[in-house]
Amino acid sequence: MVYRKELLETLRDRRTLMAMVIVPIILYPALMLVLVEALRKETGRRQSERYSIVVPDEAHRDWVIKVMQREEAEQAKDSSEDEAATSQPTLGSAEDLMGGFRAGLRSDQLDIHIANSGQSLWDLVAGQVFHVGILIEPPPDTRHLDDDTNRVVQFIFRDTDPRSEFIYHQLTRILGDEADRIIKSRVVRATGSEASLSPLLANSLSTSSSSQQYAKILAMIVPFLLVTMTVTGAMYPAIDLTAGERERGTLETLAVSPVPVGQIVAGKFFVIVTIAMISTALNLASMSAMIYFTKLDKVVASAGSMRPADIQAVERQIESRPDSGEKRSQKDYLERRRELEQQAAAKVSFVTRAAPVVLLAMVPFAVLAGGVMLAVCSFARTFKEAQNYMMPVMMAAIIPAMVVSYMPTIRLEGAILVFPVANIVALIREMFLGNYLPTALFVSLASTCLYAAAAVVLATKLYGHEAVLFSDVGSYRVLLSRRMFKPGSLPWPALSLLTVAILFPIYFYTQSYLVDARATAERVREVLGLTQVLLLAGLPLLVAWYVRLDFRATYSLRAASGAAWTGALLIGISIVPVAALVSDWMTHIWSGFQASDELFRRQEALLTEGPLWAILLVFAAAPAVCEELLFRGFLMAGLKTRLAPWMTIVAVGCVFGVFHIYIEKIAVVSLLGMLLAYICLRTGSIFPAMLVHMANNGLALAMTRFERIQEFFGIAENGAPKAGHAAIFAVCFLVGLVLIRSSNRDQ
Amino acid sequence: MIQALELFKVFPTTKGGEKRAVDHVSFHVDAGEIYGLLGPNGAGKTTTLRMLSGLVTPTAGCALFDGIDVTKHREAARRKLGYLTASTGLYLRLSPRETMRYFGELIGLDRQTLDRRIEQLIGWLHMDDFADLRCGGLSTGQKQRTNIARALMGDPPILIMDEPTLGLDVLTNRVVLDFIRAEGGRGKAIIMSTHYLDEAETLCDRFGLIHEGRLVGEGDLAALQAASGRKRLSEIFLKLCGSEDHVLAMNGLAPEANR
Repeated sequence: MVYRKELLETLRDRRTLMAMVIVPIILYPALMLVLVEALRKETGRRQSERYSIVVPDEAHRDWVIKVMQREEAEQAKDSSEDEAATSQPTLGSAEDLMGGFRAGLRSDQLDIHIANSGQSLWDLVAGQVFHVGILIEPPPDTRHLDDDTNRVVQFIFRDTDPRSEFIYHQLTRILGDEADRIIKSRVVRATGSEASLSPLLANSLSTSSSSQQYAKILAMIVPFLLVTMTVTGAMYPAIDLTAGERERGTLETLAVSPVPVGQIVAGKFFVIVTIAMISTALNLASMSAMIYFTKLDKVVASAGSMRPADIQAVERQIESRPDSGEKRSQKDYLERRRELEQQAAAKVSFVTRAAPVVLLAMVPFAVLAGGVMLAVCSFARTFKEAQNYMMPVMMAAIIPAMVVSYMPTIRLEGAILVFPVANIVALIREMFLGNYLPTALFVSLASTCLYAAAAVVLATKLYGHEAVLFSDVGSYRVLLSRRMFKPGSLPWPALSLLTVAILFPIYFYTQSYLVDARATAERVREVLGLTQVLLLAGLPLLVAWYVRLDFRATYSLRAASGAAWTGALLIGISIVPVAALVSDWMTHIWSGFQASDELFRRQEALLTEGPLWAILLVFAAAPAVCEELLFRGFLMAGLKTRLAPWMTIVAVGCVFGVFHIYIEKIAVVSLLGMLLAYICLRTGSIFPAMLVHMANNGLALAMTRFERIQEFFGIAENGAPKAGHAAIFAVCFLVGLVLIRSSNRDQ
Repeated sequence: MIQALELFKVFPTTKGGEKRAVDHVSFHVDAGEIYGLLGPNGAGKTTTLRMLSGLVTPTAGCALFDGIDVTKHREAARRKLGYLTASTGLYLRLSPRETMRYFGELIGLDRQTLDRRIEQLIGWLHMDDFADLRCGGLSTGQKQRTNIARALMGDPPILIMDEPTLGLDVLTNRVVLDFIRAEGGRGKAIIMSTHYLDEAETLCDRFGLIHEGRLVGEGDLAALQAASGRKRLSEIFLKLCGSEDHVLAMNGLAPEANR
C-alpha cells in the first residue's frame, strides 16, 4: 500500500526520472560520442598537423627524408599484410578509430628547413621557431646516403611543447626502426641469410580467450560504475521520501495514521531499493548496448590477444627450422589458440551473458544502500540538509569500491568478505572472472544483509521520533544526549543490531589474524584477548551505560536455580562429544562443511601452543564471559522485546555463527549459539550459559593436549565419535536439557 | 469522548535548560461538541493537540479517547482520530482523489466504502472541479479542503483540527466552517485551535483559553463571561491572560479611561 503509493509518486517526480532513466540512457552514448569525437578530432589534427624541423645543411635534409621514406614503405607493407589476414574493420567503429590513432607520422607532414650559416640550432628551437633540430655526426654525404657508417643523431627539442615532444618521440621511434634495418642488412651481408637475426622468438599463448581477457577489463570498471550508479539512483527517492516529506509537511499526517511506523518505513525502503535496482538495470543495459554497438569489446579483446599476423610470423619461424618432434606440438597449441579465438567470436557477446548474474549480485548492495540512506536521511529536516548528509554516504560507498576496483590483487577473502561495499564489488569482479567460492558468496551477502537490517531498523526507530518529526521540539544533540534516555530500560532492537553490526567487521578483522601466516601463538592470544574484552564486552557495556539501560535485566544478571546449574553442568560435560557427533553428521550430509586440512592444522597450532593457563584464559574463559555478555546479554535483550522466543533463539544463534571466522563450521557454531540462547532464556540467568560456553571451549582445547580426555569422550583421531560413548553423552546432554527446561523461573 | 488529563510537556532546550510548553492542561470534549482551543502564537495549542493525537509523548499526564490511552494504545486510538495539521502538507504529485484513496487504504477501508466516501467528501467540500488535478497546482483553499477530506476518510468519531481556517479566503472559510458545524451535528467530538476569536465565538460550543502553556479559562461563553466580567471573547481573553492592561497601555489608553 505504502509501497504502491510511494512508487507511483516517485515515478511522477521528474528529478528521479532524470537520475534513473535519462542519465544512463543518454549519458553513456553521449560520453562515448564525445570520446569518439575527441579521438577523431585528435587523430585528424595529428594527421594534418605540420611540424617544422631545422637541420644545418642539405645533406642532413636528404638523409632525414630518405629515412622517412624507408619507414613509410615498411609500414605500407606491414599494414597490407595485416589487412589481408583480418576481416575488414567496421566503418565508424572504435576499432577503426584506434587504428587511425596508432598511425604515425607521414613525411609530407614535415617541413625541413636549412639553418642559415652562423645560426645555432639550439637558439632556433629554444626561440620557438622550429619544433625540432637535428644534428648528425659524422655528417651525412648527399652522394653516399647509404654508407654504412655508425652515427650519433642529436635531437634538440622542447620538452614543454606538446608538438615538439610528439615529433621528437616519433622521430626517435623511426630512427630505432632505421637502426634495425641497418643491422639487418649488415647481418644479411655477412651471413647471407636473415635466420641469425632472430635467435629466440617468444611465442606466448594465453589459454584465456579474448572474451575472458575482456571480462578481466570489464571486471575492473563495471562494478565500480554500477555501485556509483546504484547510489545515485537511490539518492533522490531516499531524500524525497524522508526529508522531502518532512519539508512538505506530509510526514505528520502520515505519522498520525493508524499504520505501524515499521510498515511505512518498510514501504519507503522497498521503493528506494526498487528505484535503485531499476537505475542499476538501466545502467547495465545501456552499458551493454553501448559496448555491443560500438564493438568496444572486440577492440579491447584484440588489443590483448595475438593478431593473426603474429601467429603467421611464428608459424613461418617454426617451419623454417629443420623438422623435429618438438615443432609439431608447438603448432598444435597454436591451432588450439586459433580455435579458441574462433569459438569466442561465434559466442554471444559476453556482456549479455554476465549481465543478469551481476544484476542479481547488486540486489543486496541496493538493499544496503537503501537502508543506510533511509537511516541517514531520517535525520534531515529539509531537502538541502539531506543532500549534505548524502555526500559522506556517497563517499563511503564510492571510495571502497574504487580501491577494490583498481587493485586487482584484492581477492574476496578475509576481512574484505565482511567489509561493506568492498565485498560486493569484489564479489562482482570474481563473478566476471568466474572464480568465486560459494562460502565467500554466502558470507558477503549475509553480512551485507545484516548491515542493511541494522540500518532499516535504525531508520524505523528514528522515523517516528518526535524530535525528528517536529523541528521545534529540540535538536539531535538533545535527542542523543545522555540525560534524555529514560533510565532502567532494556535495549531496543535497533540499538542491539546496530552495535552488533558495528562490531562485526572490526571483530572479523582481528580474527583474521588466525589465518595470517606471520602470526605467532602469543600475538594471537594478545590480540584476541584484548578485542574480546574491549570490543565484544566493552563497547556494548559502554553503550548500555550511556543510554541508561537496566544492567540486571539486559544482561540477565540473576542467580540461577539449582536445577539450572545441574543442567548446565551436564550439558557442559557432554557438549564436546555431542558437538563432534553433530558435525560428523553434517559432514556426511554435505562435504562442504569440512575445513581445509592445512589451514585447520595451522589454526590448531596457533590455538594450542603455549602455556595451558594462557590458552584457557584467552580461548575459553574470555569468550565465555565476553561473548555471552554480547550475544546472550545485549543482543538477546534487544531482540526478545520484539521477536517471539524461538525467533530470538534462532536469530541470536545465526548471528553468533556468522560472527565466527570458520565458514566451514558456521552451522555447528550457530547451533551452539542457539543452545546457549535457549539456556539463558529458559533459566533467566546468563551464568549457566557462560558455564556451558566455557566448558565447550575449554574441554575442546584441553582435548588436543591430553589424550586421556579424548579417550574419555570417545573421540577418534579423525574427530569422529565412537558410537557407544556418543550414546552415553547424548543421554547426559538430553537430561541436562530437560533440567534446563524445567528450571523456568517464571513457573 | 476526548479527555485531556493533566497534560504536561517539558522540552529540553539546547542550552541545557527546560521549557514548559504545556503545563498541566485538563479538559474534556463530548460527542457532538465543538471545542475551541484558543490562544496566541506559541501558547502551547499545537503541542497540546499533538499530545492528544499521540504524536508527542507527554512528560506527564495522559490523553484518552473513549477511555483508550493515546500513548499506550497508539493504533487503536488513531483509528478514532481524524487529525488536521496546521502546516498544510500534501503529496504534490498525487491528485486529491489519489490522496484520499491512499489514506483510505492506510486505515484499511474496503473498496466500496472507499469509493463511496471519496464521492461523499468531494460533494460536501465542493471539490469536483479539482479532484483529479495534481495537488501541486492547487490553491491554498483547495489544498486545505483536500486536507480536511483526507483527515476524514475513515469517518472518525474524533476530529482534531489545528488552525483549519488559517490563510483561507472568505468563500473557502465559509465552506470549511459550515463543514465543521455539520460534522459536529453528525455527533463528532471536535477540537479546533484558532486565534480568530470571532470565528470561534460563532462556531464553538465551549472554549479553552491557553496562555503560556496554562489553561487560563474554560467553559461556554456564559461561564467565561461570568468569570471575567467581559462580554466579547477577545476581551475575555485579554482579561484572563492578564494582558488587558498591557494592551490598553499600548493603545495609549489608561485602564481608568475604559471604565
